Amino acid sequence: MPTPDRAADTSHLPNKGGAGGPAPPSQLPAQRRGTTPQLHGRYPDYDVLTSADRWDHATRRVVLERVADVPEIRFFNAEDERVLRAFCDVAIGQTSDPRVPVLEMVDAKLHTGTLDGYRYEDMPADPETWHRVAVNLNRTAVERGASDGFASADTELQHQIVDSFSKGELDWDIPVTRAWGVVMRGVLGAFYSHPWAWNEIGFGGPAYPRGYARLGPGQREHWEAPPEFSVDPVSDVPKRGLE
Amino acid sequence: MKTNARLALKGSTRPPENDSAFLLDQHSRAIPGRKHMRTFAHDQSVDMLIVGAGAGGSTLAQRLARRGWKVLVLEAGPFWDPDEDWVSDEAGSHSLYWTEERVIGGEDPVELGKNNCGRGVGGSMIHYAGYTPRFHPSDFEVRTRDGVGADWPISYQDLKPHYERLERELPVAGEAWPWGDPHAYPHGPHPISAGAQRAWEGAKRLGIEMRVGPVGIANGSFGHRPHCIYRGFCLQGCKVGAKASPLVTHIPDALAHGVEVRADCMVTRIETDQQGRCTGVTYFHDGREHFQAADAVTVAGYSIETPRLLLNSTSARFANGLANDNDLVGRGIMVQGAPQVAGRFPEEMRMYKAPPPEISSEQFYETDPERGFARGFSIQTVGPLPIGWAEHVLADGHWGQALREYMRDYNHWFTVGVLCELLPRAENRVTLADQTDRNGVPVARLDYTQCDNDRANIAYAKRKLNSILQAADAQDILTIDRYAHLVGGCAMSSSAGTGVVDSDHRAWGVPNLFVCDGSVMPTQGSANPALTIMALASRLAERLGDRSATAGRRTATTHS
Repeated sequence: MPTPDRAADTSHLPNKGGAGGPAPPSQLPAQRRGTTPQLHGRYPDYDVLTSADRWDHATRRVVLERVADVPEIRFFNAEDERVLRAFCDVAIGQTSDPRVPVLEMVDAKLHTGTLDGYRYEDMPADPETWHRVAVNLNRTAVERGASDGFASADTELQHQIVDSFSKGELDWDIPVTRAWGVVMRGVLGAFYSHPWAWNEIGFGGPAYPRGYARLGPGQREHWEAPPEFSVDPVSDVPKRGLE
Repeated sequence: MKTNARLALKGSTRPPENDSAFLLDQHSRAIPGRKHMRTFAHDQSVDMLIVGAGAGGSTLAQRLARRGWKVLVLEAGPFWDPDEDWVSDEAGSHSLYWTEERVIGGEDPVELGKNNCGRGVGGSMIHYAGYTPRFHPSDFEVRTRDGVGADWPISYQDLKPHYERLERELPVAGEAWPWGDPHAYPHGPHPISAGAQRAWEGAKRLGIEMRVGPVGIANGSFGHRPHCIYRGFCLQGCKVGAKASPLVTHIPDALAHGVEVRADCMVTRIETDQQGRCTGVTYFHDGREHFQAADAVTVAGYSIETPRLLLNSTSARFANGLANDNDLVGRGIMVQGAPQVAGRFPEEMRMYKAPPPEISSEQFYETDPERGFARGFSIQTVGPLPIGWAEHVLADGHWGQALREYMRDYNHWFTVGVLCELLPRAENRVTLADQTDRNGVPVARLDYTQCDNDRANIAYAKRKLNSILQAADAQDILTIDRYAHLVGGCAMSSSAGTGVVDSDHRAWGVPNLFVCDGSVMPTQGSANPALTIMALASRLAERLGDRSATAGRRTATTHS
């Protein structure tokens, strides 16, 4: 049940939550319908996939294949895969299963040469950029004391390194800020193309041929669900037997 | 009185000399005329060969065919069947964009691909948001009025009848327009979403006027074009057929008048004879090279591929590329500064609903000396879908759990943007890179650097967006810096030494070569370019006239 007060409260937003950063995901309601990454989200009773039979056939094929067919890793070598899998988890905050298979989706794009249509003059092509990022993440991890590289570093160090990466504060052999743009474009494009992520954020999803009719503030189509801000995880999680 | 009578009939009036909306199939989105399309042989010299089936090429083809020209359009991308090829899905729409490799450089590089480059029949208008504003009269005399940029060799009055005609053909929906040359639209304004209402309230509190539209989206009965269903996937190709693109507004009528649209054909060279006249083009189809003869050639490949094709078409006579004797091909490329600012509200906004283009303001379009820079910007709404929203959140500096939290809050946000008029600069240009594509042809390199006026404009416009959202009581604000649109690169000019084509789009020094796309624009205003590109094409067709008349003037005769 939505409570207007909680929806109006912005203390859960990173810019508004003080020094503590975003609220920990453990305080989110657990998903009751369908799947979300890590089984939590803001819309516990929403599953966009229940609408799949209302989508046109071309869209349904593309989106359902994305869920059902997780491609094998074909482009990355074994060490790149190990490092970049850990990187993707940190970069998009996937701490446990079920995970959106971000690395597999990125690998498929690089394997088939599905690129974005531009390359900065001081950057290698995107596939090579991903490889260079893997090599450099390992180097930085070793420099900061994780002798077995980024994938084996503890979570705190991984977060520190990704934070430095995001701010361009690393001395790498490729332009760091641009490399961050290339890999994050890939990570976000994969993660937020997945219906599990749509469940987490309450996105209405494909809407052809039926369309949207309720455009006003707070209005919902019959298949859209309200956000839930009112869950107390201390009582909610045991109640649902999710511990 | 004539105008009033037309408006009284509302949207159901049939545009003159364009039956496209009535030639569509009511039960399928594929273009019916394609099955019976005329075809030309390779050695059959067509009257006009057009490279590119976008806003410029398609409109020109339709107009010339109506005037008796034998027209062939070669398009690098596919001939779309929206039912089969397009999806209601961001990631699945990758094939709509020009994603062949290009190199970008300069101090403020412009990212290409999905943001600004299309391919396939319909061009970039397949994935444009749908805004179809006119340029202002001031846009055509920026140098005279403001001492910056360039004057056009034509005026607003030259394009006005074509704007009016195209607004009926698309058709354009919106409120009566108070800015520039005030005018009304054939279709009334669409309903707007929760977020647009909130943004408008904020604007009103600051004394900023906004209006609904103008969008090329049918809002009422219009031939066999369906009504918009507000599904919000305008940037992914309109599966509905409600949003205007040449695929539905001009190609059906073009095919009905004998135009051949040959898809999946990448033109790599324009061939010339000893006299310096075009004889046809070389193109690749399925990895095989072909030559197509033509009496005249129009390049309509947009601001990157048009200069690239001209620069790659070297010969003994044109050692630096075709129409490039003055080293002007590829220069003066412009993008619009297009930062977007999102605001958080207590109510659910669900900005994925309704077409992203909802309301806009051109109150800040022209120069205001008090702002401290020349020219201005327009304000428009946008509605990013999840991947677009994630890129917005990332640009504000968030990743990991923080980004996930902003994403979970998606339904409480709404986004407004601006289009800032950045000025043409000679050093912002397309050149050929060292690397080649899969056909062995050098790819384009785009260098871009802003000038101080550009930076001041963008910074001011961003503050204005922030103030609108604050006045609307937004609880939190996230900002992304980005660019939109691409024009210039083959500017039209009043003399050979100052541009690439003349006021009739004819290349200086090559009598049967024309350029008809956004690249001919000497300046860009802060309007979305689609309608103006179409209006330029419509005017060019009028200038070229009936085939019999031009043949007599040797405008486009066969080489001997």
